[in-house]
Amino acid sequence: MEYTLQFGQVLKYVPYLIAGAWLSLQIAFLAFCGGMVIGLLGAMGKIFGGRIVRSVVGVYVTFFTNTPQLSQIYFLFFALPEAGILLTPYEAVLIGMTLNAGAYLTEIQRAGFISVHRAELEAAETMGMSLLQSVWYVILPHIIKVLFPPLSNLYIIMTLGTSMAAIFGVEELTGRALNVNAITFRSIEIFSVTAGLYLLVTVVASTVLVLLGRWLFHVKGKVF
Amino acid sequence: MLARLFEEIPRFFSHYNTIFLLKAAATTLCLSAGGCIMGLLIGFSLALIRITRGQLLLPARILSISYVESFRRVPFLVTLLFMFFVYHALNLTVSVFIVGLTTVCLIAASYTGEIVRAGMESVHITQWEATEAMNFTLVQKLRLVILPQAWKVILPPLFYFFLGFIKDTALASQIGVVELTYSGKVLNNKGFSAALVFGTVLALYFTISYPLARFGAWMEKKVGVSKDRRR
Repeated sequence: MEYTLQFGQVLKYVPYLIAGAWLSLQIAFLAFCGGMVIGLLGAMGKIFGGRIVRSVVGVYVTFFTNTPQLSQIYFLFFALPEAGILLTPYEAVLIGMTLNAGAYLTEIQRAGFISVHRAELEAAETMGMSLLQSVWYVILPHIIKVLFPPLSNLYIIMTLGTSMAAIFGVEELTGRALNVNAITFRSIEIFSVTAGLYLLVTVVASTVLVLLGRWLFHVKGKVF
Repeated sequence: MLARLFEEIPRFFSHYNTIFLLKAAATTLCLSAGGCIMGLLIGFSLALIRITRGQLLLPARILSISYVESFRRVPFLVTLLFMFFVYHALNLTVSVFIVGLTTVCLIAASYTGEIVRAGMESVHITQWEATEAMNFTLVQKLRLVILPQAWKVILPPLFYFFLGFIKDTALASQIGVVELTYSGKVLNNKGFSAALVFGTVLALYFTISYPLARFGAWMEKKVGVSKDRRR
């Protein structure tokens, strides 16, 4: 092997890369929030909706969970212009990720809703709680314990998934790594540094999530 | 737009395009299945290293743990590009398919390592102690006592992981592996309507993934750990 590793040139670009990592986290956060809203509506539709609503949500979830996110974004980015809808790369990636996350979050939130026993709701009613009170004091503390671990897991997976945005030219962490690669040609170094940054970002994100879970919802969790 | 789409359909599904798409679908399946099976073998040994005890094997344990934890926190795309350039730096001339396969294998190893470990830990501690008391060797322990109980916990998540990888291998198109997404790009560049091409690609992914997902759900029900496990 006649390859000498030279990190010097690449390390200059670390602040530039970190700014990209911030954008990655932002995309993941926005897509996650959008996905939560879609997921909430989807889960409600699947539990309380009529037959038509249920089957529409079912088709949405099966389609998006059984096809790759990358091909979905390809479809949004290249096929929608034929119908006259032009999306910027950032919008296409964000919409694609949101729709995809929505499908997974529908399933996760449905599982959470199902975990609340009917008896507990009846108990809340007996105590004379209003709907808001019973949601706040009975349903939420119960659901959050079931939901928090899979949700934080999905958030980490989505942060990793934002690397897909690089393919469409969004300058997040991987996109910026590709830029630096084109400038310096130190490919191995730049991609190992990028991998290290992803490691750092996801470890920080999971630590924050675990702490949040402990303080706010008393959910036990671990980073590793 | 729709009229143009319908007009293009017979031209799109010509003999050669159909064969091209089906071959690409087969590549997608080979890439994920091959990678996951090899990954499972490595992941299994990683899990084995992790459950060993004794001072001598401590470095191996630390290595195994850090491997499993770090590869699960790096995106597939970054690992893929990294491997692509590593092969290049090592002066190894291999096809991009092999690069993709190695990457799938590396990542699958870390995930399956975690799944197998969780499965083995689900076996009650007294069972492990009983094997100690019987003075079994490691192979005997696993073959006679642990695995017959653990495989029910291991199999369903393992299958779902494999399913997930069928979708993740779409990223291998970025280094030029001719799988479904890449074939979509090629056909789109040939001038076919993007809606038609990527619609077909999505439909093909769906036809691969959906039956397997149904099979997985059926298997989970069939194999599922019964509630009254004797301990």
